[in-house]
Amino acid sequence: MKGTFFKEFFNRNGPLLGTYLLLAVAFWIIILIVLPQLSMLDYSFRFNLPPSAQGGEKDVYTMSNYQHFFNGSEGNPERLSIFGYQTDIPFNKVDIAVFFKTILAAIFVTAFDLALCYPLAYFLGQSASGPSGRVLLLLLIIPYWVNEILRAFAFRIIFGATGVINTVLVGVGILDTPIDFIRENVALYAGLGYAYLLLMIFPIYNAIESLDRNQIEAARDLGSPWWRIHWRIVIPFAKPGIVSGCTMVFMLTAGALAAPQILGGPSSLWFTQIIYQWFNTGGNWPRGAAYAVVLLFICIVFVLAMMRLFKVKMGEIGK
Amino acid sequence: MRQNPLIKVFLAIYLVIFFSYLLGPLVIMGITAFNSPSFPKAAPWECLTFEWFSVLANDHRIMTGIRNSFIVGIGTVILSVIIGLAGALVLTQIWPKLRATYYTIVIAPILIPGVVLGISTLVFWGRMNAFLGLSDESFLQNGIFLTIIGQTTFISSYCMLVFVARLQRFDQGLTEAALDLGATHVQAFRKVMLPFLYPAMGSAAVLAFLASFENYNTTTFTFGKYPTLTIELAQKVRYGINPSISALAVIIVTITILGALFYEMRKRREAMAIANGAPASAVSGGGFKLPKMLAGNPAAIILALVLIGGIGTVLFAQAYNPQACKVEVREEKRKATDKRIQELQEKAKQRSLQEKLKGPDIFNQPAQSPVPPAQAPSNPGSGTFGDVFNPGNLDEGDAKKTPDKGSSLNPGSGTFGGVFNPKNLNESSGKGTSQ
Repeated sequence: MKGTFFKEFFNRNGPLLGTYLLLAVAFWIIILIVLPQLSMLDYSFRFNLPPSAQGGEKDVYTMSNYQHFFNGSEGNPERLSIFGYQTDIPFNKVDIAVFFKTILAAIFVTAFDLALCYPLAYFLGQSASGPSGRVLLLLLIIPYWVNEILRAFAFRIIFGATGVINTVLVGVGILDTPIDFIRENVALYAGLGYAYLLLMIFPIYNAIESLDRNQIEAARDLGSPWWRIHWRIVIPFAKPGIVSGCTMVFMLTAGALAAPQILGGPSSLWFTQIIYQWFNTGGNWPRGAAYAVVLLFICIVFVLAMMRLFKVKMGEIGK
Repeated sequence: MRQNPLIKVFLAIYLVIFFSYLLGPLVIMGITAFNSPSFPKAAPWECLTFEWFSVLANDHRIMTGIRNSFIVGIGTVILSVIIGLAGALVLTQIWPKLRATYYTIVIAPILIPGVVLGISTLVFWGRMNAFLGLSDESFLQNGIFLTIIGQTTFISSYCMLVFVARLQRFDQGLTEAALDLGATHVQAFRKVMLPFLYPAMGSAAVLAFLASFENYNTTTFTFGKYPTLTIELAQKVRYGINPSISALAVIIVTITILGALFYEMRKRREAMAIANGAPASAVSGGGFKLPKMLAGNPAAIILALVLIGGIGTVLFAQAYNPQACKVEVREEKRKATDKRIQELQEKAKQRSLQEKLKGPDIFNQPAQSPVPPAQAPSNPGSGTFGDVFNPGNLDEGDAKKTPDKGSSLNPGSGTFGGVFNPKNLNESSGKGTSQ
């Protein structure tokens, strides 16, 4: 079966073009995508050894990096308690708390973006056509081309202790002392929501744009209230777009590094920052790789579970 | 469509909120680029200045970063477009049962966190290097090489999506016709398929370059000795900043708007010409006829206005000197400081008087120069405490400024009280614009 496929493939494309296609795709899939991920997975099961000892007899597989994520370093006083029952299992409270906080915050940011973008996507897709619609699209795209770092920086200017909001509020007399938005993580959530807004709008917009307007008109003529039109017609139709946007925003938010580094409060950490620390100041690459694997794995499981829940196929993402 | 006026009002409010969330941060950042405090602030406004643009131009780390970003960007564009094109073409031909799996694999890099891509690239090529027995300084460990490879992994997926969208509208019969008429496969590809894909190639290349230019998560693990612009910016933002970064943002936004307007204008022009019955080939050529082109083409009009405004600003910046305004602001600050010193002295004197009334005061020192009471009410407008409680006083930006101004009279107390006086604001900005 495979043999005939390749034969047909070369028949269709000719030798030169066929070779180019196969080589380029093979390079991409094998060298760029699959092998590095496998390599990282393998690396995460290794001890942190100096380069001279790598490949030597000490270079064996270990679970220690994953154990560290769950149990913490040796002598960790924290013990896992399940529903109030204290167990003897050591428990890496700090890292796991950061991990769940990251996931929860990513879910929150995703929901926020969805709520903010759905009305606009609907408006753009159904009502705004012609020049005004194009101007709105243009306005949407402009912030996206500005560097991620600069966008985060803009939020620092706005939310900082001497930032615009505080200066105005204190100046008008509403506040006596400035609010520390950065410490309260308000700036972080606003910045994260902002960063991937566009990735939420466009999939939903694309889906809603192809919805036949007559369906909405028909529902309205039959006396359906606006919320039922959305609930029964628009949202089911736009579901692939919604799931696609939510998936991208969730994955990118959970994996964001720049915004938490710039906008995060002094006491708050994002999980990617812990990974970053293991690689840089921590100097323990295998452990960083293990943490990265944990992040990737949980995110994928979460997204697949959501897709199963909402009955959307992978092939519909990215369209 | 009948529309309830209430819904219209809500829609308008919603649009305003949405777009102020979207564009407000950029506008505010833009304002800080022209304000003189050395810590980026939009309010209070002090002096109009263009110095942050020259600070930016003289920042050689930023300039090196831009150069590295361009090298990485060009490399990534070439690789990603080649790979993305192949990926899209294979997707159209692949055995149907394999299709879903293949699509999942090649779309995955978009969803994998950038951090993970950076780490896996770093680990894999490090091991590859060790496996091949190369030194640490080898090509495979070069920061630019690793960054290009790491970014290409997921930017190829973007490019592929662009090509897939275009290929969906391709009539496969065209290629078959070319082959039937005796063209070789390469000829059919080069003369039929490629010209059809040219627009998609352009979009994919632009998309790839921009994605590469602004990438941080992957690059931060792979850049090695060649920090790109984004890395430099992140380091600057984290360890002390001045508005030259805002100036950079202003430049980037301006270029983006110009590019978008130019693109929009061309599209409008083509659409108009085609609507008037002109063949499409006649439109794509150059030949600018300004007045006709401007008629009924809002994008062109805005573009022209922006260009004129930009040139005007540059000319104005050549002639404009914010020095006078700055001296003015400094003077205001000094005056406010003096005022507060006087007030404090006044209070001290009153206290000592009260103590005298209570009894003999041995601590009263003759050296303390008494201030004539007539001077005290000279500024009834401001409170006794001046602006001590203004949070801006503690601002690090102003703190940096202290050494270079002559007000070393009392370095401890807030040297810069008066800036926040709304009266000063008017004066200084009035002076600024009048020049």
